[in-house]
Amino acid sequence: MVDADRVRRELEAVVGARRVSVRPGDLDTYARDMWPRLLLARRDGAAPTTLPTAVVWPETAREVAAIVRVARTLGVPIVPYGGGSGVCGGVVPIFGGITVDTKRMTAIRGFRRDEQVCDVEAGLSGERFERELARRGYTFGNFPSSIYCSTVGGWLATRAAGQLSTKYGKVEDRVAGLTMVTGTGDIVDTDGPRRAQGGPDWTQLVLGSEGTLGIITSARLRLAPAPQLRVFRGFEVPDVAAGIEALRRVLQRGLRPAVVRLYDELDTFVNSFGSHHADPAAVHFGHTHAPAPLPGEGALPPLPPRPAPPPTGALARLAHLAQRSTRQLRGDAFTALLDRPRLVNSVVGTVAERIARKGCKLIIGLEGARLRTEVEAALTFAELERAGARDLGEDPGRAWLARRYAVSYKMSPVFRDGAFVDTMEVAASWSQLTDLYYAVRAAIGRYAVVMAHFSHAYADGCSIYFTFVAHAGDRAASERRYDAIWKAGLEAATRVGGTISHHHGVGLLRGPYMHGEHREAMAILEAVKRSLDPDDVMNPGKLGLASARRSR
Amino acid sequence: MAPDLHAALAAVVGPDHVRPVAGQHAWLVAPGSPAEVADVIRASAAAGAAVVPVGAGFRAARVKSLGDRARVHVATERLDQVIQLDEASLLCHVQAGLTGAALEQVLAPRGLSLGDYPPSILGSTIGGLIGVRTPGKSSARHGFFEDAVAGVSAVLADGRTIHTRVAPRRSTGPDLARALSGSEGTLGFITAAVLRIHRRPEVRLLAAFVLPSVDAAIAAAFLALREECAPAGLRIVDAAEARRHFPETALADGEAVVVAATAGPTDLAACDRDLIASAALAEGGRPADVALAERWWKRRLGLEPIPGPAPTFQVSAGPRHLAAAYHAIRAAVPGARLHVSRFDLDGAVLFATLVDEAGAALTGPAAAAAHAAAEAAATAAGAWLLGARPTAMAPYLAALRAALDPHGIMNPGALIDPV
Repeated sequence: MVDADRVRRELEAVVGARRVSVRPGDLDTYARDMWPRLLLARRDGAAPTTLPTAVVWPETAREVAAIVRVARTLGVPIVPYGGGSGVCGGVVPIFGGITVDTKRMTAIRGFRRDEQVCDVEAGLSGERFERELARRGYTFGNFPSSIYCSTVGGWLATRAAGQLSTKYGKVEDRVAGLTMVTGTGDIVDTDGPRRAQGGPDWTQLVLGSEGTLGIITSARLRLAPAPQLRVFRGFEVPDVAAGIEALRRVLQRGLRPAVVRLYDELDTFVNSFGSHHADPAAVHFGHTHAPAPLPGEGALPPLPPRPAPPPTGALARLAHLAQRSTRQLRGDAFTALLDRPRLVNSVVGTVAERIARKGCKLIIGLEGARLRTEVEAALTFAELERAGARDLGEDPGRAWLARRYAVSYKMSPVFRDGAFVDTMEVAASWSQLTDLYYAVRAAIGRYAVVMAHFSHAYADGCSIYFTFVAHAGDRAASERRYDAIWKAGLEAATRVGGTISHHHGVGLLRGPYMHGEHREAMAILEAVKRSLDPDDVMNPGKLGLASARRSR
Repeated sequence: MAPDLHAALAAVVGPDHVRPVAGQHAWLVAPGSPAEVADVIRASAAAGAAVVPVGAGFRAARVKSLGDRARVHVATERLDQVIQLDEASLLCHVQAGLTGAALEQVLAPRGLSLGDYPPSILGSTIGGLIGVRTPGKSSARHGFFEDAVAGVSAVLADGRTIHTRVAPRRSTGPDLARALSGSEGTLGFITAAVLRIHRRPEVRLLAAFVLPSVDAAIAAAFLALREECAPAGLRIVDAAEARRHFPETALADGEAVVVAATAGPTDLAACDRDLIASAALAEGGRPADVALAERWWKRRLGLEPIPGPAPTFQVSAGPRHLAAAYHAIRAAVPGARLHVSRFDLDGAVLFATLVDEAGAALTGPAAAAAHAAAEAAATAAGAWLLGARPTAMAPYLAALRAALDPHGIMNPGALIDPV
């Protein structure tokens, strides 16, 4: 049994009393992230099944090292915590222990224009990082929809990707070195100058380790100059297969658009309901010609507008009430539909094709240095047209650009209506990609309404981002359905040779599928774990790694 | 025990593919399949012998520290098949013993290529290219050679075979292929790999410039790279080196030649060439005869002999230390000839050839002294000798090796300092 009071005292000796908490509210908050399965319990008013023993806010790598040594001595686990925006339960303290929040480590230290790198501490929020870089005329190029609520360290720990990854790469492609505290409590730099080095690349062995090997405290990241030019365009392709082929041709000619997004029929259909004109962000941008980067804003969106105050007059209140009950009615119809996912998937697919008769939408955007971007844009658009895509002009591109952070904030209404929504991002080589799409879509489609878009493209393959919405009776039934969807979807992905995650990570959600993903090669991961964290202090039981600890 | 090991090895690979190494407690074995590799490793482990991988043999195996311990040198020469070519995904699954040149022969008729890497990769085996991380395998267009590795197959010390599975990118824990990449056979014996390959570029354009100084040439190179120029090759040759490599150019002391190759779709290759040209002009350069670049490219492809001797040593430096390292080497050995190559945004590699006043290569103690002085000067100026390893990770590497290879049979002499 862990002596919670002793843990608190030892931590206070390291960081002082103000940066340690054992308050129930804090423990409750740090018991979860944004994993939708946890939100089902949350909606039901259930308390977390496990809580951390204490939460601590270190400010330096040295303090982190001291905290890890405390944990090692006391035999309690460490769970690193960044923004809490993870969607796989990676920060859930399944064995209790000390949750280490990195958000007080936010310095940008070395900023070197000549080498286009900077040293940044792990707890810096993505938004603040990009604003700081934009101020100096640079960008890191990672723009996940969670940019307001995720940290640099969280990105590195999960091998995150942003919306412009096709040009800038995933985060693991842009790391020149890491500073980490290992499970033994030592501070190490994982890399010297990359080009001069022998031996395995430790940076690449730590990236994606989700806190199971150590805590990343800072990183040397590669930057790019802020784009001088940004060109966005919409295209239309007859069907998914034609769209895949068009994207493959662009990427394999050596062209690197920043954004590629190919929506399947249903996703195109759903997308066409968005009222772009009423979007305050779109108004704010006020585009009348090709969108240019906003001065000083990098690729960040304007801050969301404040919500309108509730209406005051009697008439207005009545109207407000009517609006709400309509919403309620719509919600009921919505969940009724979700109870017949197979029907909806087939009908909506056909109806969408029939009514819209415009196939699939493809958004493509390029940005970067002026000359090269102009040339690449012309080559990219020409290649798409040769592949049979129809140019829709700049409007769809602009509309996406203006609304691109909105999507993640549309989850709440679905949960309010008693349903649930989640996303599954898988990837495969081009030759397996169509199989992957149909296999995973069919697997999820037995339980949920499912749509998909293809984004994050490479010369050798592409990622597919499935969004599914489902409904089941009570919480237990919802959880059963939720688990069934993931099992069916991920096993289908493995069966056709795809990977089970492109950029969300493993956490608790995908742990059971890691052996299917890596098979015998898990031996390497287990050996790396024994090397960097011999006592299983760091985030035990995650990443599909077995733990000898007993559940609390 | 020794005759037993010989018999065991012969039973695995057949008597024709195992032979004792004269005068040493060692055998050279050439397995014909990954399954035979696994059996050879099991047989060696049973006899307590060390397993030393042998590729195309460009780099001497590190066996000095092994003393009298029995060794099994496992050659990959019979593992030379292309297993699958996925032209739709530009992926090629090859066995480890195939050389870069042999692979290019398979790819070229199909309009494909390994890509714009330095020509030295042609003589190496794929297993060697992956197993040994050296900076001589970087490309401004494709990155380092390990970036081209989408997956590897390897036999571990206990005889288990692992395959890291292929995906364009994944978010399912660390990149496990990277553990084997650069491990020099200490963590596993690489038997096959899936490589990212490329279509042959539509055009290749060459250009040459004379810059007023090496400093200006370095500045021009990074100016172009920061404008996103991605050349297939870029080299700065100082005046002393240019006199040997391009004797027809009359360079003033201190001047430098820049040769560049760009490739890709025509418009993009032209754009990249123009970016280099405008950077060179902006730094005070002037266009030179394109024949210089053509000569350089032919030598690079091995179509024309390279005037010797080979560079004495190589150091790597970031953009802001390159010029200082260059001048430090020149100051330490005034007759040194240098060129700078392997550019990317992280820096470049300085190749130093130490010659005496008459232009002949130094030999003997004088050479050693000059070499040491030049290396010291370069590192003092912020450069790194190639092959340097961060010692901070040494205990973790030792622990990783112990976890995967508890009896220390996998290339035990490698990756241990001092070399």
